[in-house]
Amino acid sequence: MADDKDVLRDVWFGRIPTCFTLNQDEVTEREAEPYYLLLPRVSYLTLVTDKVKKHFHKVMRAEDVEEMWFEYEGTPLKWHYPIGVLFDLHASNTVLPWSIIVHFKNFPDRDLLHCPSNSVIEAHFMSSIKEADALKHKSQVVNDMQKKDHKQLWMGLQNDKFDQFWAMNRKLMEYSTEDGGFRYIPFRIYQTTSDRPFIQKLFRPVSADGSMHTLGDLLKEMDPTALPNEGGQKRYQVVIHGIEPLLETPLQWLSEHLSHPDNFLHICIIPTPTD
Amino acid sequence: MSSWRNHVRTSLHQRDKVEKVPYAGVFTCLSQLEERYEIRKQILDDLLCKSLGRSGVDKGKDPRLLQLQLRESEHMQEKLSQTVSDLTTVLYLKEAELQYRQARVSLYRQEALTLARRSNSQRATLSELQHTIECQSKELADLQAEVRGLKKALAQARREKEELLQRWMDEKRVEADRLNKYNDTQERWQRLAKQLKKQLRIEIGKEYVVTNTWSGQTEMLPTAIHWINSTTEIRRVHSEREHVSTVTQV
Repeated sequence: MADDKDVLRDVWFGRIPTCFTLNQDEVTEREAEPYYLLLPRVSYLTLVTDKVKKHFHKVMRAEDVEEMWFEYEGTPLKWHYPIGVLFDLHASNTVLPWSIIVHFKNFPDRDLLHCPSNSVIEAHFMSSIKEADALKHKSQVVNDMQKKDHKQLWMGLQNDKFDQFWAMNRKLMEYSTEDGGFRYIPFRIYQTTSDRPFIQKLFRPVSADGSMHTLGDLLKEMDPTALPNEGGQKRYQVVIHGIEPLLETPLQWLSEHLSHPDNFLHICIIPTPTD
Repeated sequence: MSSWRNHVRTSLHQRDKVEKVPYAGVFTCLSQLEERYEIRKQILDDLLCKSLGRSGVDKGKDPRLLQLQLRESEHMQEKLSQTVSDLTTVLYLKEAELQYRQARVSLYRQEALTLARRSNSQRATLSELQHTIECQSKELADLQAEVRGLKKALAQARREKEELLQRWMDEKRVEADRLNKYNDTQERWQRLAKQLKKQLRIEIGKEYVVTNTWSGQTEMLPTAIHWINSTTEIRRVHSEREHVSTVTQV
């Protein structure tokens, strides 16, 4: 774990340059300038866009302002997915900065969850952590933590404090050497081609014969179409944090090092660009 | 280091080279400028409000500029205080982490000691087992030698048994021949005895007829009958004695 701390840092400090533009249909008092921001890959849209909201509020009348939401090329962006996942899923292989449209009207209730305050994001974040720990340690670690420890995890994410977050999160990443890994790997597989939001099933990091399961093993079981076909032709990219790990990478290591702060390993399967 | 691990590291660096590094400087600079602009704007607004209330005072200095500088320094001080606070928190966290690491090191040291102890005991057991194996190997070699000796003795005994059997068979053949010869002799003797008896009876008959010519009766003399009987008895005893001596020889 200690040897790979630089990987944890690289994952935490991943950034996406973004240009926020106000939707043309919004009523403004004067023309709204776009707003540029480096978004942390591991955070949530509504958690890091206070400045964006303030910026566009300046040019709008108070009565025209409703709940803010974001859209990319016609797709409403789900704030409860990590930013990096949204980018990899919808906008990877496109020109940077990432161009997001900001809306203050016509909230798409069917597609998005409401997010009136940061406490909603906190509740969602803590619920994900608890779910992940239920899979990894039967909730033993998260239940042994105190309220202030939970707060430290949340504050670490909210204030982008790597050390503060990992001082607590490392407990969630521990496992006994006898087990050789977590009980189950908390993962979610997102596909652009599927109607279902994501795939999430029980999958152990160690096989029955004692060998470590790899990313390839997981995909073989969950979504075999994501793997290159017999001719070696790669139709899909398997992306985690904007990179394509090798299929022989052990799943346990990936879960420990490439999981998001919510402790889930978010895997995006996107079609390989043709050009 | 594993290739997959290297691949992840390299890919993350590559990703940051494309997504983060070219934009970080510009975006940070822009953010700082915006922040500064906002502060200045706010301060100027405040000052404008104040200066409207007391116009014409302090004409020799530029109070607005001084106020601006003061507010800016105050803002900077706030930011610096925040940085100090952040660094203190980091220091506290690092200390906590150090303690955690030390605790882990102590735990691992304990584990290493236990393992070393277990390893020593297992080494001793192994040595004992090796000694036992050596002793048993020697014992096995001795037993194998003994088995070889016994097998040799058994083969010898079998050979001797064969020889004795052969000898016994030969002896039996000789005895059979002797018995056959005796039987032949006996038969011949019987035949001769018969002839002799017959002859004797004829002779006696003639003599009796001659003797009783006087008395008118023909009868055998008692001396002749006794002689025939005694000769037959002698012959039987002689035969039995010969048979006993043959058996004794075998």
